[in-house]
Amino acid sequence: MSTASRKAAVSLVAALALASLAACGSSNDASDAGSGGAAPKTKNGVSQVSVTMASGAGGDACKVSTASVPAGPVTFAIKNESATGLTEVELLQDQKIVGEKENLAPGLPATSLTLTLGGGDYQVYCPGASAELTAFKVTGHASAQPTGSAGSLLAQGATQYGSYVTTQVQAMVAAVQKLQQDVDAGNLQAAQKQYGEARPFYEKIESDVDGFVLPGFTPTDNRGNLDYLIDMRASNLDPAVGWHGFHAVERDLFQGQRITAKTKKLAAELTTNVQKLAQLSKTLTYQPEDLANGAAGLLEEVQSNKISGEEENYSHIDLVDFAGNVEGAQQAFAHLQPGLKALDASLTDTISQRFDTVTTMLDTYRDPSQIGGYQRYTAELKRTDANKLSQTVQALQDSLAHLAEKVATA
Amino acid sequence: MDEQHSAQLSTSRRRLIQGAGVGAGAVVALGAGFAGGRASADGADVPMTDDGVLVDLNASHAFYTGSHQAGIETPQQRHTVFMTFDLTTTSTQDLQRLLAQWSAGIAQLQAGLPVGSVQPASPVGVPADTGEAYGLGPASLTVTVGLGPGVFDDRFGLADKKPKLLADLPRLPSDRLRPELTGGDLSLQACADDPQVAYHAVRVLARLGRGIVNTRWTVLGFGRASAGKGQATPRNLMGFKDGTRNVKEPADIEKFVWLDDGDDQAWMTGGTYLVARKIEMNIEIWDSSNITSQEQVFGRTKAVGAPLSGKHEFDTPDFTEQAGGKPVIPATSHVALAAAENNDGVRILRRGYNYTDGINELGQLDAGLLFLAYVNDPDHFIQLQTKLGSSDRLNEYISHIGSGIFAVPPAPRKGHYLAEEIFG
Repeated sequence: MSTASRKAAVSLVAALALASLAACGSSNDASDAGSGGAAPKTKNGVSQVSVTMASGAGGDACKVSTASVPAGPVTFAIKNESATGLTEVELLQDQKIVGEKENLAPGLPATSLTLTLGGGDYQVYCPGASAELTAFKVTGHASAQPTGSAGSLLAQGATQYGSYVTTQVQAMVAAVQKLQQDVDAGNLQAAQKQYGEARPFYEKIESDVDGFVLPGFTPTDNRGNLDYLIDMRASNLDPAVGWHGFHAVERDLFQGQRITAKTKKLAAELTTNVQKLAQLSKTLTYQPEDLANGAAGLLEEVQSNKISGEEENYSHIDLVDFAGNVEGAQQAFAHLQPGLKALDASLTDTISQRFDTVTTMLDTYRDPSQIGGYQRYTAELKRTDANKLSQTVQALQDSLAHLAEKVATA
Repeated sequence: MDEQHSAQLSTSRRRLIQGAGVGAGAVVALGAGFAGGRASADGADVPMTDDGVLVDLNASHAFYTGSHQAGIETPQQRHTVFMTFDLTTTSTQDLQRLLAQWSAGIAQLQAGLPVGSVQPASPVGVPADTGEAYGLGPASLTVTVGLGPGVFDDRFGLADKKPKLLADLPRLPSDRLRPELTGGDLSLQACADDPQVAYHAVRVLARLGRGIVNTRWTVLGFGRASAGKGQATPRNLMGFKDGTRNVKEPADIEKFVWLDDGDDQAWMTGGTYLVARKIEMNIEIWDSSNITSQEQVFGRTKAVGAPLSGKHEFDTPDFTEQAGGKPVIPATSHVALAAAENNDGVRILRRGYNYTDGINELGQLDAGLLFLAYVNDPDHFIQLQTKLGSSDRLNEYISHIGSGIFAVPPAPRKGHYLAEEIFG
């Protein structure tokens, strides 16, 4: 499936990101429509093009019924008759994906893709076919809104996502300050409850803020690694630096069940570090790929630390963190959604549905009487439910893994 | 044998492994590293297996035959990965799409091709194919798909397409089934002469199914425990030949395995049913029992595999022969209870594999038999197992811990997919 043309598509992305959103300004006369092949059929003013995939002596072929259509709405009827090696079709313009269809196994009913195209040179791209690229010309200029604004919608979403992160960071600072107050007051019960309130904020944005190194420290020195100082678990401690942050406080509150002078020191230190994080996070800017990678990263967190019950080893509020990770991922996705929809509606729907499946599942674990509002993730619950939790998240994670590639080609 | 050997060496593109997967060949590979193992395969002193067969890792089986699925009558490969799945979707379209994608994927895999790109050109591309079989031959891979009773329950509106005889197996004598090793809405049986090729196939197909199916139970079979036509009878982990009297002749397979036109739902013509059982063996207890009691359990001799009434493996057992007032082949031996002549002529095609899961919580070897039987009437299995479960001497040493039943549709023709007709 990998080809030279695909490589070219990627290396050109940056250069083309701002250029040629849609070739709608052409003044070519529509009368030269059809010059490149069979005359296009139209139905209610919509050009009809069929793309047929079949295997033969020369390998898997991808046949486009007409080489040229007039500008305007075009419906591609796509049918995989027998080409086992082919599963997708993309329409490219200047190496950018204008529209695509996936999951095209032989035997499935024909599927259609309708796009409004401006005049210009396009290519029908069938990864894996004996001839992967078929030239496709659109003559004249567009009669309706051009396609291709996906890139700008994505960029817009990424910028807006920045304010979501800011809101979460501010809320985290306030929640951690309250935690420090409860600890200072020696109120164990209130501090335990507040621990559960403070945790989700970091979990929602962890993939955006876990890379900060304080000024004057090298990246390998954990004394200057904010993520280490805020969120390190017992299992990964650096003996040279010792234990700091949320989980050190968690140990005192839930295992020791006692607030000591050391707990107070840890809580105060946590406040300071979270404030430093808030300061540094103001410098962050976001590209669409960052959101895509961040969302996938948060779900990796769920799989590697929450479902194992390793994250909240003493408080067992792993499901609170789990919900935080999922919310953070969902927010990143939601900000990409308008642009992504223009790019690949079917992937957008799939991811959206799988988020729904995960959140519906998580809802069944809600328990307002518990710290953080979710059932405690006990050994017993883990034994009975970890399989279901893990497989449901994995399905979402698999589809999310393709996001970064999509947005990079927009 | 020399002539055959040199003919194979002259075709340089063929890759061969010495037949015994866990025999001398493996020892050579361990001792001298991979290159050493290869060198020995290229040398003149390749030790032959007892069936004198070298395995051609470039051999492949077609998928789009429009006939029976491969992996049933196909000469049995040396390794398997068997996995069952639960459908988590309630969308009939999802199920339809999955079967179409699995069909296309299996066609690629059986041809030895990756399913999508191993090396995406884009730096942020996620490899579609996981890659661990990249560059390996097809290794005679077959992936056989089964549909469990759940496909036809009220979730998908396919009840009127349900195969006539597809129903959960009843509780059978001596069953010690564990829920987590039982059932499944779909099954994949991947068999190959290279275990990594079989594993890759199931991994890729499970990945294609994510969001539609969850994994349920799996068994990795590392050696054949049944023989097909022309194959020497292999041994199960009790050290006895297994499958001496298996269904092997095409006429018998026709009679006992395939569904003919009019037997069942029209879309099942050319199909069959699969009964899968995970059978745990109490290895240590078995190993400490003496040769006479072992042979009395099976009703056969250990080394030769001859019925206790005969001298050679393929001698027909004589269940009437007496010595000292008792049958020579005990009536409660495995062979006596399972024999067709004692079961109204009923026979089942077995395609089993030995498995191990390592060491159990008691420090004992955790191993046994993945029993896979193909039958055109699941009642044939029920009938046999009811009898075996009630009185087989073997029951002292084995437990049936996992179970599943699946309808196995015929293979599609090119341009179609497995079980397409149920979505009509």
